[in-house]
Amino acid sequence: MLALLGACLATGCATSKYPEDALRLTESPLDIRSMQTRTYEVSSEAVILAASVGVLQDMEFNIDEVERPLGVLTASKVIDADSGGEMFGLFILEVLGGTGAMQTASDEERVSLTLVVLPSLARDDEYTARITLQRTVFDQLHRVKLMATIAEPEIYQEMFAKLSKSVFLEENQ
Amino acid sequence: MNYRLLPWLLLQALMIAGCATTDSQIAGSGSQVEIRQIQTREYDTLNKAMTLRSVIATLQDLSFVIDKADATLGTVTATRYDRYVMRMTVTVREKDGERIAVRANARINEDAVTDPKTYQDFFVALDKAMFLTLNKVD
Repeated sequence: MLALLGACLATGCATSKYPEDALRLTESPLDIRSMQTRTYEVSSEAVILAASVGVLQDMEFNIDEVERPLGVLTASKVIDADSGGEMFGLFILEVLGGTGAMQTASDEERVSLTLVVLPSLARDDEYTARITLQRTVFDQLHRVKLMATIAEPEIYQEMFAKLSKSVFLEENQ
Repeated sequence: MNYRLLPWLLLQALMIAGCATTDSQIAGSGSQVEIRQIQTREYDTLNKAMTLRSVIATLQDLSFVIDKADATLGTVTATRYDRYVMRMTVTVREKDGERIAVRANARINEDAVTDPKTYQDFFVALDKAMFLTLNKVD
């Protein structure tokens, strides 16, 4: 009985340990920045900011926070994360006796984005835009299924290509 | 009284008593002076605006998304979704006109980060970002 009591107390109140390397850089900041950053030559700060807001709207994000002196724009959106292949696989699993398997299927994904637009330190009349992206995937019961940094270079490339187009449209309006 | 229920009542009482620590966590625990020491560094290389720029860049280097930033107050709050949710607030303020104090506090899920090494890692990353800012590298 005492052992049971001890076990209950230990599991009920144990402080969960966090990873030691939580704030350790895993690679060079320059390598990280090369994927996340682009430089744009524009006529004014107003143009790059308007183009940045415009591209976030083009990509159907909602803007959550703006702090202009720091060039920070934070935005998010919830997208459908249903996948036909995953649903089919889980359906088969459920048919074979895996009760509740379908409920573990991805339902929606929340994408959070920070875009920081600032005058370039290296070159006059240029502005840097840097994007950081995170995703949280929820299952059919709205439980968190996955939380991760979005690190696919092609996603960043596509966003910067859209920002280029937005800058062009803003400059030529 | 039914004495067969006594062990279970005792168990319940101990579990409640053992876990009734949430109130003490609301206002935090540990020495305020000690916490400030491990969470704070002072710099005299960049001004407040450039230090804030470096702080935001550091948070992005560490894959955080910025939730809120305030240039006047010098505060930045950011979140990173990983195998866990990590949330940080970093404050930048001028001290006696010359030095800049940067203080960071972090939480992972429901725990406050108290390990000095974790904060050392953050300030190592910030040192690198400040070096890049100082040398005009975007």
